[in-house]
Amino acid sequence: MKDDHGVFRSRFTVWLYLSPTILILAVFIFYPAWKSIILGFYRSNLFLGTRTFIGLENFRNLFTGILSPGFIQVMVQTVLFSTLVVLFGLSFSLFLAVQANKNVKGAKVYRMLLIWPFALSPAIAATIYLFMFNPEVGIVNTVFDALFGMRPRWLDSPVLAFFLVVAASVWKNIGYNIVFYLASLQSIPKTPLEAASIDGASRFQSFKMVMFPLLSPTTFFLLFTNLTFSFFDSFAIIDVLTKGGPIGPAPFFDNEGITTTLMYKVYLDGFGGSSNMGFAASEALVMMSIVAIFTFLQFRFLAKRVHYEG
Amino acid sequence: MKKLLLVLTIVFCSLAVVSANGTTEESAVAAAADDRIEITFWHALGDAARSGWIQDRVDEFNASQDTYVVTQEAKGSYRDTLQAAILADKQGNPPSLVHVFEVGSQLAYDSGIFMPIGDIGNFDTDDYIAPVLNYYTIDGKVNSIPFNSSSPVLYINTDKLVEAGFPADYVPDTFDDMIGAIETARERNVEGANISFALHAWYFEQWMAEQGAMLVNNDNGREARATEVNLTSDAAVKIGNFMKELGEKDIYSYTGRFEDWDGSDAIFKGGQSMFHITSTADLGNIAKAVEGSFTMGVGKLPIPAGEMRNGTVIGGGSIWVTKNQSEAQLEGARDFALFLTNTDNMISWHKLTGYYPVRNSSVDKLREEGWFTGDAKQLVAFNQLLTTISNSATAGALGGTLLDNRTIIEQAMQKILQGGDVMSALQEAKDIADAKLAEYNANF
Repeated sequence: MKDDHGVFRSRFTVWLYLSPTILILAVFIFYPAWKSIILGFYRSNLFLGTRTFIGLENFRNLFTGILSPGFIQVMVQTVLFSTLVVLFGLSFSLFLAVQANKNVKGAKVYRMLLIWPFALSPAIAATIYLFMFNPEVGIVNTVFDALFGMRPRWLDSPVLAFFLVVAASVWKNIGYNIVFYLASLQSIPKTPLEAASIDGASRFQSFKMVMFPLLSPTTFFLLFTNLTFSFFDSFAIIDVLTKGGPIGPAPFFDNEGITTTLMYKVYLDGFGGSSNMGFAASEALVMMSIVAIFTFLQFRFLAKRVHYEG
Repeated sequence: MKKLLLVLTIVFCSLAVVSANGTTEESAVAAAADDRIEITFWHALGDAARSGWIQDRVDEFNASQDTYVVTQEAKGSYRDTLQAAILADKQGNPPSLVHVFEVGSQLAYDSGIFMPIGDIGNFDTDDYIAPVLNYYTIDGKVNSIPFNSSSPVLYINTDKLVEAGFPADYVPDTFDDMIGAIETARERNVEGANISFALHAWYFEQWMAEQGAMLVNNDNGREARATEVNLTSDAAVKIGNFMKELGEKDIYSYTGRFEDWDGSDAIFKGGQSMFHITSTADLGNIAKAVEGSFTMGVGKLPIPAGEMRNGTVIGGGSIWVTKNQSEAQLEGARDFALFLTNTDNMISWHKLTGYYPVRNSSVDKLREEGWFTGDAKQLVAFNQLLTTISNSATAGALGGTLLDNRTIIEQAMQKILQGGDVMSALQEAKDIADAKLAEYNANF
């Protein structure tokens, strides 16, 4: 155990090099996070500037009483939303990246076009969707009407609206995933693939047995960033596209808008309406715990299965 | 090397000190040369037309006297503006005048950073139109000066109406009349025979007022702090039943998004509805947009059958004065607020935007000018305003959670539209609204 901190001679040097990052994290992440944890135990209104310690009352209101069905619904649909966004996001982008990695004419152009959506801000992406899926005057329904003679209600039929927001989020993030998948596909050595084909593996088998394991570090990383994206960055898409609505089907999904995620509910309660900051902070705390649990599970169960070369 | 660093540091520090001294001296000089009292006005109207109009008035006011110098700044949405003002007050540097929206009145009042403008010297408010001033009078005091006021009216696609066999000047007076006209039009295969309006709780509030019903208890929150939201009253159920009928007969057209003003306007402009409800502030815009495609009529907001028409609540914004400023600033702030809403300014404001001119003298002058004969559509809006009965219902509700209520009401309305039971949707909405109000009131 003589070489605990790698190449650095003293512990001090390590901390010195880490200090800028730690300082920035402390100012912009740790301190605000700590403040909002504390706020969760207070009754505090943004407009009134009030602050009264009320212990666990905010949390009690989250899980019992009149406001709890809405919160529990939002928790469930957040998990559902994140699962779908991560699942579809990763599988589509892996599929597209593998296709774009092939030696076809104009591959570079395809690659560039695939990365395109990533260059848009989420708010712009959502605005484009809003125009396209406007049930009365949008291009999508004009086409649907001409082809099938129907005009689906994209924004107020609950199931459609939910999947529209999922689709917009997946689409928005797909460029990011493709960049990473393409980069790691390009760095996969040819030899194991050749060996596989000599051994008579089909294309699907060599993808499943050779390529996919070699991509696992990237997948693991993307799983993580996509999860964060679906929890936090989907905010703008939801805000522009549906404002958290519409009300879902009874009996369970009819307490809040079906596209309201935890993040959006924190915003609605803390900065919308009468700005009940304490209540919103307690919701944020629950959200933080969910993300922490997800992350823990990932590292606990998936990290072992990641194959790092060398 | 170290020495050089030291020298450089000293040089920079001394430079900084010198320049800091320089600026303080400069500003002292500037103040001596121009010792006019500064008045700042924060508002929520960031678009070029309206903020440009405000800037023009500011320039006129500054040129008209040499005691005060006013500056104006758009601070984003109404919420942003109010939040920014409260924050600025905490930091000891509040703006003099703040533009607050009507549902934020209680929040602004409770924030404790404002004072009633009626307490600054003696001035006459008789000229302001009563139902408008009514909203902004709290505890018998004129709390703020109405600035941009509007209310909803019925927009009619007259071509469709005539096609359905009605006279061109027919205006449905009640919900039943309106639904009946749509049904007749459908029987005659008139295309786009729908009713469109944004799914917005503003209309719910208006229909409560029209029926003379209070949205919240304690005389609409004006006698004492409101503790209950009256979402299960007879008046509320009538509105719920109307939405139910719209849903069942499939004659209501909207985009599906809450509070989608533009989306629902697009439905009407695109000829996809026969009746449309939206603010009087859009009269100019919509009339211009449909010119050449169809004839448009305007009528009073339809109400439930068998009810006496009490009138509408005045939506929009008013101007509040913050209390943490000098006596001289307070007087300057009041003078500017009165200047901004004087007879002639309100006329040009009305012509630019479609907001009501909030003074009786402005209305009289417009009438003399022949403004109403040229465009009778505006007259409908005015009659609706001027025939409004001044009572607690039409004065509008005061409550800390009126914004939350809007979301809660919209969710309930959507449930009803989708086939939910009226009474249970309203009861559930009431329970949530009451819980949120109790939570808000616990701050005091």
